[in-house]
Amino acid sequence: MNLSKSIFQDFLPIIISFFVGALVLLFVGENPLEIYSLMLSEGFGSTRRIAATLSSATPLIFTAVATAICFRSGVFNIGIEGAFVLGGLAGAFVGFSIEINNSFFHILFCLLAGILVGGFWLYLPSWLRANWKVDEVVTTLMLNFIAVAIATGLVNGPLLAKGAGNNMTPMIHESAELLKLIPPSTLHSGFLIGIFVLILYGYFCSNSLFGFENKMVGLNEIFSKAVGINTKKIIITSMLLSGAIGGLGGSCHALGVLHRFVEGFSPGYGWTGMAIALISRNSALGIFIGSILFGALASAGTTIQLFSDIPLDLVDVLQGTVMLLATITVFNLRKNNAVR
Amino acid sequence: MQFVENILASGVLLTTPILLAAIGGLINRLGGIVNIGLEGKMLLGAIIAIIVSANTNSWLLGLLAAGFASSLAGFFFSVLITRLNANMIIVGFGLNIFIAGLVGFYLKWFHGSSGTLKIENTVLLPKVSLPFIHDLPLIGTLFSNKDPLTWISWIIAFSMPWIIFKTRLGMRIRCAGSDENVARSIGLNVNNLRDFSSSIAGFFAGLAGAHLSIGMLGLFSMGLISGRGFIALAAFYFGRNMPIRTSLVCLIFGILDSMQIRLQGLGLPSEPVQAIPWITVIGILSFMGWSEQRKSQELK
Repeated sequence: MNLSKSIFQDFLPIIISFFVGALVLLFVGENPLEIYSLMLSEGFGSTRRIAATLSSATPLIFTAVATAICFRSGVFNIGIEGAFVLGGLAGAFVGFSIEINNSFFHILFCLLAGILVGGFWLYLPSWLRANWKVDEVVTTLMLNFIAVAIATGLVNGPLLAKGAGNNMTPMIHESAELLKLIPPSTLHSGFLIGIFVLILYGYFCSNSLFGFENKMVGLNEIFSKAVGINTKKIIITSMLLSGAIGGLGGSCHALGVLHRFVEGFSPGYGWTGMAIALISRNSALGIFIGSILFGALASAGTTIQLFSDIPLDLVDVLQGTVMLLATITVFNLRKNNAVR
Repeated sequence: MQFVENILASGVLLTTPILLAAIGGLINRLGGIVNIGLEGKMLLGAIIAIIVSANTNSWLLGLLAAGFASSLAGFFFSVLITRLNANMIIVGFGLNIFIAGLVGFYLKWFHGSSGTLKIENTVLLPKVSLPFIHDLPLIGTLFSNKDPLTWISWIIAFSMPWIIFKTRLGMRIRCAGSDENVARSIGLNVNNLRDFSSSIAGFFAGLAGAHLSIGMLGLFSMGLISGRGFIALAAFYFGRNMPIRTSLVCLIFGILDSMQIRLQGLGLPSEPVQAIPWITVIGILSFMGWSEQRKSQELK
């Protein structure tokens, strides 16, 4: 009984969000069933469409895993957006500024740059949270805006491409481009890296000591401290890992899809990833399904806008509703996730 | 001198939306809810104000409609938190995305516009110039020729200490925010008080948005708010929930805002100035954390 209630509660936000979307569509005189079935076929109808969906899901896998690691340990880190943006900038920078003939090493260096910058970016708030108990919600939130300001300042100034109009870095060298998996679509090998990270995350949750301690700190920080877990270390490590994965996601996005860094690099991948981590209650399988779902919404939403005049903003309405309802409790069930 | 005077004059105007949103957010914060959704409510207020003002030919109705719509959004936001135990930060973000989605949908579907809306007959807020002060140098530019909402926002800001520390309602809201259990034990309805404080926050955020659309620009655009809701959040964190201090922080942020617009106009990089509010808040929170830490160590 509890299990079925729990499953119902997990899917409730998604069900209601489609219902709200349907109301919006009915209000403007469109048939929601027609639009939704069109979206379904635009999201999964053919190999090409599935590739587009997986491509849109790729950055979300990274940001969702990055968020989930912190939420598990009770650290309310909402700074993934900033780590993603700066990681993307770092990856693109190494991609266009250094020439290495070996493609493998070039990509490796670019991704490492993203990982380092992303991890470094969240070091300050993690240190402040662990040592001085500074509210990480506010610091990570503010750091997002600082990250965007830094990135925008750099691409409009020192890193601006010669001859390009505005707001973009030069193209990365060909040796730094991630392999396209199904050529006409933008699906790139970054997707495989994302799946690899997701599997590692799943393994880390259920089979590693760190994963166990990470969850314990999330469930009860004081108790964990009392039984001898180094909570400071767990909090800092979780946030560094989270930033590193966010940065890796950003650099994959730069190397795989855009092949450069542009202003407005992330249309809110960090926030969507947060929504996915929440509705999946930090489970690896849930993150996979959620990323595909939101990836399909994004890719189908774009084509729907082209073919049937339904504004892409419908996707925001759906996503916003999911986030509004993601953490509600309708039934009083004991929940094991830290952020509630 | 003229240059500085211009920056200050437009800085005062640019303070108004931040100040209004910060007052609302502050009341909400005192009631125990951190309002991340100010940004979305400002966006809602901005578009409602311009539509109503154009259709009724009245800026006052535009303002009231904006305030009412956003306070409704605030109430809805609050109910999810107080009655359904949702996480306030997530709900706030959700509300921002939800409102941006709805407004964007509306603009594209009904106006065929991808981001801006300008309606003929929009009645803007009038400018009130003060008879004697107007001609004085500096003081004239600072205080005269401002819209009524700017005046109202400062009057409310300066009566805030009295409202929250001396009136029954203000004390009850603070009680609900500082200790839920104590508030319950003395018979207060914490949930109702929180919902009320969120509705008030929504109302002020709506006015703040309206000030941007029908007070300053005379048009609506999706990028109109551009993080001012979060700047307001930064302001009351910086002001440590004290109303007067928060208002002065808002004034500083407003002047910074006008400086960065000037810099952009001159083709200079404005990002360092844009980042100042965010950096100062991290600085002040770190300082507070550090001094708390030191105090607790001294006690040991």
